[in-house]
Amino acid sequence: MSRNAHPHAMAPSKPGRTRTAPPQLPDQFPFGGRYLAYTLFDLTGILYVVLGLLALCAVWSLGSGEADWNAVLERNRNLFSVGFHGIALVGLIFVGIRFFGFFPKAQPPHVGPLKPPPKPVILVGLYALWIGVTVCLSIVLAGGVF
Amino acid sequence: MVEVTRHDIVIVGGGAAGLRAAIAATEIDPAASIALVSKVYPMRSHTVSAEGGAAAVAREDDNFEMHGYDTVKGSDFLGDQDVIRYFVEQAPRELTLLEHWGCPWSRNDDGTVATRAFGGMSTKRTWYATDKVGFHMLHALFQHSLRFDNIVRYDEHFATRLLIDGGAVRGVAALDVRTGIVRVVLGRAVIMATGGAGKIFPFTTNGNIKTGDGMALAYRAGVALKDMEFVQYHPTGLPGTGILITEATRGEGGYLINCDGERFLTTRDYGVGTKAELGPRDMISRAIIQEIEAGRGIPGPYGEYVHLDLRHLGEAKIDARLPMVREMSKIYIGVDPVHEPIPIRPVVHYMMGGIDTDITAATSLPGLYAAGEVACASLNGSNRLGSNSLTECLVFGASAGRNAMAFAKGSGEGSEDALRRQGEEEAARIVALRGKQKGGEKLARIRADLHQAMESGCGVYRVQETMDATARAVAQLKGRYADVALEDSSSVFNTELIAALEMGNMLDVAEAVANSAAARRESRGAHTRRDVPKRDDQNFLYHTLCHFDPAGPRLGKKEVTLGHWEPEERKY
Amino acid sequence: MSDGHSKKTFVVTRFDPDQDAAPRKQSYEVPVHPDWKVLDALNFIKDEVDATLSHRWSCRMAVCGSCGMMVNGEPRLTCKEPLSQYGDTVVVAPLANFPVIRDLVIDADGFMEKLTSVKPWIIRAKELAVEEGPMRQSPAELAEFKQFSMCINCMLCYSACPVVANEPEFLGPAAIALGHRYSLDSRDEGAAERNEVFRGEGTVFSCSFANECTEVCPKHVDPAAAVNQAKLNAVIDWASSLVLPRGGDE
Repeated sequence: MSRNAHPHAMAPSKPGRTRTAPPQLPDQFPFGGRYLAYTLFDLTGILYVVLGLLALCAVWSLGSGEADWNAVLERNRNLFSVGFHGIALVGLIFVGIRFFGFFPKAQPPHVGPLKPPPKPVILVGLYALWIGVTVCLSIVLAGGVF
Repeated sequence: MVEVTRHDIVIVGGGAAGLRAAIAATEIDPAASIALVSKVYPMRSHTVSAEGGAAAVAREDDNFEMHGYDTVKGSDFLGDQDVIRYFVEQAPRELTLLEHWGCPWSRNDDGTVATRAFGGMSTKRTWYATDKVGFHMLHALFQHSLRFDNIVRYDEHFATRLLIDGGAVRGVAALDVRTGIVRVVLGRAVIMATGGAGKIFPFTTNGNIKTGDGMALAYRAGVALKDMEFVQYHPTGLPGTGILITEATRGEGGYLINCDGERFLTTRDYGVGTKAELGPRDMISRAIIQEIEAGRGIPGPYGEYVHLDLRHLGEAKIDARLPMVREMSKIYIGVDPVHEPIPIRPVVHYMMGGIDTDITAATSLPGLYAAGEVACASLNGSNRLGSNSLTECLVFGASAGRNAMAFAKGSGEGSEDALRRQGEEEAARIVALRGKQKGGEKLARIRADLHQAMESGCGVYRVQETMDATARAVAQLKGRYADVALEDSSSVFNTELIAALEMGNMLDVAEAVANSAAARRESRGAHTRRDVPKRDDQNFLYHTLCHFDPAGPRLGKKEVTLGHWEPEERKY
Repeated sequence: MSDGHSKKTFVVTRFDPDQDAAPRKQSYEVPVHPDWKVLDALNFIKDEVDATLSHRWSCRMAVCGSCGMMVNGEPRLTCKEPLSQYGDTVVVAPLANFPVIRDLVIDADGFMEKLTSVKPWIIRAKELAVEEGPMRQSPAELAEFKQFSMCINCMLCYSACPVVANEPEFLGPAAIALGHRYSLDSRDEGAAERNEVFRGEGTVFSCSFANECTEVCPKHVDPAAAVNQAKLNAVIDWASSLVLPRGGDE
């Protein structure tokens, strides 16, 4: 089943000397084969927007006093909210793993005199940073420090 | 209806020789308009498939005299010695220029360009880029050429006729494959750089586009084709497909083995002496055929073959120096050379012969130049040494570019009316051919019969009776070709029409090959006869010329330029 | 030639602008040999069944880049793909994301323009004279860009890339990889110029990590690596140009 890509996809700057048939999207795009992972990866953008708004609300309520903060926590003690946060967590882990997977090969051989560390070091470093920050933030939000 | 465009010079063919000529021409005059007409996008040119390397003196233990001597000896003393001396002197300069333009030559640890051993070369002088030298050279040349706006490319334009007026070449008529219209591309000089014609044979390393177009265009315009009988069989091609397995496999130490596991080039006398697998190509190909004929070949679905054994080189060396060979063996014959020997047999690879040119790349037709495999200067005489031809494309491509520009400066333009009329005649001929439904012959049948005839009469070993039969068969095929019926009458990207035009060219080239072969009653270089096995300098130390004539090709002779090296017995 | 081996059905896209309003499909039954590639079947169709089928091919050894097509929905070099991996029906279509000229032949001129726009040549402030001989380059320096120099311009990556499908200005995987190849070459001094192109209309930042280009590349070039390395270079270059004056050696 073929569908049209952007009408000017791969078009030369001057019109061709003969009439051409319009460019077609790759068959599997957007939900088939390997494209599924990519499409989901890009769709996590929606998660970020929603999470961003929720984070803004949470920060605002923190500044409005303990009663407001407790109200926020109470509002989120329902299946829908927990479910959403669960999906968001899975989504972020998926994005993290996929992104971290690409990260080593995205390092140029050198920047000026600096060379990137070897691939295993990069990966360990990234995951360590991620997990470390997550743990610290969790402790803070759970009230363990303040 | 034809469209006319004007340029200073026109180059036909976008491979190493054509691109090098274009770059040389633009260096002479950056404001000149240089047309580059190619039936494919330049990066598809067959230069891309060359693997092993390009030769030029590079090391302290090497010099021009040695490179020249190796070349003239490899040519079995039919190479023109002034051409050879010019070539070896220009070679390092050309490969250095390519390095400056980004070609990723493989390197020694100290950063200097690495060289490897190659067949018939007395020392390491073959510059290489792992085992994809043609690919890297072609892309470096093409990408460098993109800097110059005045190189005007006519991509996917098939040149079908030289346009001549007032005794000189004034341009070409070219079919625009996309639209089906014919363009008249005018220039005050034309350079042919269209490559060889391996596709007249059934088993060849050559790609689909190697149909001898430029040779046929010049031939039909009255220029002689020289030394067409000398067809190089590369010793190591894959059975069936004919895909090239580079000589570099032997340069890096590979062995050729028969069915008994015997390294026959060392155990039996095939004239290669201690060079063994690094002997010249004609001798190695003959040796393999003799082994097979003696019953020591290995049977396979595409005929008998022998083995190319790389196992002792080890995986590390193979992956470092011969990665493409490993990949291609796995894909195209299901063999991993790290663990198993590769089945190989001789396949047609290169035409030593071609358009008769002199040392300046000029032909007998004023304004027409030729460089690369399409030309016969003659650098390679009756047998070419591996890794000389890529350098040849650069040296003579550059020379042709410079000389064509010099000629164009002093030349007139011819009558545009006369040239347009020639273009319109050509357009009419093509329109009549396209979708020509009336006829009793099919292209595929003619091609199969041509292949059969060439394989039978112009193989590694030849005999008068079959060469004569082949010449007759080709003449007959030309008659049958006039009666070909075509199905595709579309104007837009009609590849059947292209194939039909190519078939016409192939038949003309085949005619020259077969007739030249039948007339040379000696064995020399790649032209080996069972009935006349010896070289005969007394009677045959000359170049064969073949002129087109509707009544049948006329053969002639051209003197070989000697003077520096005395012809001697060719022993290694 | 046809010795009764298994038959496969090829469903091939046909389009002749002089006759067809839009592309259509045509089926061919082909007796296939066990060691044939897809291209062998197409050539059989052209020679023996339907001479009006147009397709590009040349080297048949996966180095010229002519024969890219969609085979069962994936962009492939038809000279490289064994038929044995496919079932009884093989669907062959022109490369996705490209305008189609005829049958299986796509318009490559847009690609050629993108390729040229990244200045894929050695840029030096002062050209070296040939008398100075070859430049020195260590094996380690060669290794830094070697992989990205292996592109045969087959355009499979453009067919696979979802950004190419939707953003006509995007330079695309092969062009960016080639530009990056030159920027990494120790002999080149043109990285700054290329970074301007990479930050320009065809911006490398349109790449959204599909990695499909790398998945389909028949030559293991890993264009996704090149594109993403180019992003970093382009950013560093832009940031340093805010801090350091241009015109220096860096």
